[in-house]
Amino acid sequence: MSTPLIIGSVAYTPNVVTIWEGMRDYFAGGPAEMDFVLYSNYGRQVDALLAGHIDIAWNTNLAWVRTVAQTGGECRALAQRDTDTVFQTIFVARAGSALGGLEGLKGRRLALGSQDSAQAAILPVHYLRQAGLTSGGDGGGDVELLRINSDVGKHGDTGRSELDALRAVVEDRADAAALGVNTWEAIGRDELMPGAFEVFWESPTYSHCNFTALPTLDDERVAPWVAQLLAMDFDNPAHRPILEMEGLRQWVLPKLDGYASLFEAVEEQGISPRW
Amino acid sequence: MVNPLLVLDLVERTGALPVGGTTTVPLGEVAREHETELVALWCERNGNELVGVRDGVATVRRGRSPDPFAELAPDQVPGTRLWIYTNFDCNLACDYCCVRSSPQAARRAVGADKVAQLADEAADAGVSELILTGGEPFLLPDLDDLVAACTARLPTTLLTNAMLFRGRRLQMLQRMHRDRLVLQVSLDSATPELHDRHRGARSWERAVAGIRIAQAEGFRVRVAATLEPERFTELEPFRAFLDTLGIARGDQVIRALAHRGVAESGLELTLESLIPEITVTADGVYWHPVSADHDDHLVTRELFPLRDAIDEVRRRFVEIRARADAAAQWFPCA
Ligand code: SF4
Repeated sequence: MSTPLIIGSVAYTPNVVTIWEGMRDYFAGGPAEMDFVLYSNYGRQVDALLAGHIDIAWNTNLAWVRTVAQTGGECRALAQRDTDTVFQTIFVARAGSALGGLEGLKGRRLALGSQDSAQAAILPVHYLRQAGLTSGGDGGGDVELLRINSDVGKHGDTGRSELDALRAVVEDRADAAALGVNTWEAIGRDELMPGAFEVFWESPTYSHCNFTALPTLDDERVAPWVAQLLAMDFDNPAHRPILEMEGLRQWVLPKLDGYASLFEAVEEQGISPRW
Repeated sequence: MVNPLLVLDLVERTGALPVGGTTTVPLGEVAREHETELVALWCERNGNELVGVRDGVATVRRGRSPDPFAELAPDQVPGTRLWIYTNFDCNLACDYCCVRSSPQAARRAVGADKVAQLADEAADAGVSELILTGGEPFLLPDLDDLVAACTARLPTTLLTNAMLFRGRRLQMLQRMHRDRLVLQVSLDSATPELHDRHRGARSWERAVAGIRIAQAEGFRVRVAATLEPERFTELEPFRAFLDTLGIARGDQVIRALAHRGVAESGLELTLESLIPEITVTADGVYWHPVSADHDDHLVTRELFPLRDAIDEVRRRFVEIRARADAAAQWFPCA
């Protein structure tokens, strides 16, 4: 048996255990076996990667950006989900608000998710800025921000802060909310509850999670692991439940230019490279 | 309009669950029907399952419930076997008879025509084996015709106490199809005492003689014993005796006494605890042969089309398993 690669992942739902046990079984007996370690937050996981406790980290986009910052750009992205290459932030308001675009937010209140959520906080502020809008809490700037910091440390993975942002819209504590496209899908877009919410702006697509490794990880160990990962098949009944739980149809090679907007946002907003 | 907070709660609560786990969301009083529909649609869209709504509270499972049929051995899948109670009268009056048969019991025969139609429809519906039981089927004057209609369509097992293989009844046996028919004879012990205590004086001796006659006539004989659960620890002498009778180990069926019919004790059987074995009597279609005389296990009074009855049993089985799963989620022990 080869020495297994140790993959780190953040335990943001109990299903993470099922997913990674399934992944471990899938790789068992192959040329690149793996095991996994779970962390309670991405800060702890990235520290563990840098300290050499794990070989590969299943990182969010913010965790990737922070790992790049801490390794001087030396770390490598190995693969991601097909859904990670086309992630989006969706801006929604109460149906009938007719905000017409980001400019419509001028003088209004925007609810954001956790401060460390790229999709629901960091990138939305970046998009406002690109649209020429200033923003801040308590009426400072063109757009008043209502920040909802739940589950900080998990980079928005639980989606809880985004649901709270939507609740703020329903209860008229905010005029609009920014959320990840996965949360928008989870509530059934505007199809399940017509008359509840409407989208007034969708961001360009960007990259979300990836498997991150340090350059010290031997390519002879990585290459067969990535090859076997990419070979997981949605049409194979043994693979499908894991892929469905993890929210993808196909593992793909990383789309690195999809991180450009987040690198800019982190720089503009002075977000620290650690934690 | 329904309350959008309901869907936000659903997303949050199911998101925190492991796959298979359940959670509840309260529904509003005013738009309850609408909200139930919304929860069902949301579940459908997201690959989850609405387990049920009770007292204004919806229970939702993360992911879909496991296929209850996949957990069963192939021959246990409801609709694989069809049991038919040909009649309810019997030459014996065993003290644990689960369907209260006796010489005084009304015959309640299904009749040769209906048995033939059942055999036809069963074969068309994918049933792979017919099992004829009673009462004592050999009390029927036309049993050979009835058995022929069954064996012409499917492999068949005929349950009997084997005590009537004489004269005209022996001739009926001799006319039956040896390759397509297995005889299953009731015998409860290696010596007469216990068997006779429940089934009547000299019944053991006559059953053993009947087994020998059937074997001599070239039939495969299976023996089925009905035992109090506590006797399951002392089976070996009984099995050794059946070996001497030439009954293959695979044809030695030992089952527990059920608290049904005239039995004063035995296993308590409920719809929930029994894997259904679709059973037809003159009075209707029942959940399981052990409770074919009990209205609490009646599925439908309509024998035909048989396929509808099979579908109904399968539907109820899925529903019962889903309820049991949900109950297990509600009452974790640790
Ligand atoms: S148990 Fe069988 S043999 Fe005994 S009375 Fe009932 S039907 Fe007849």
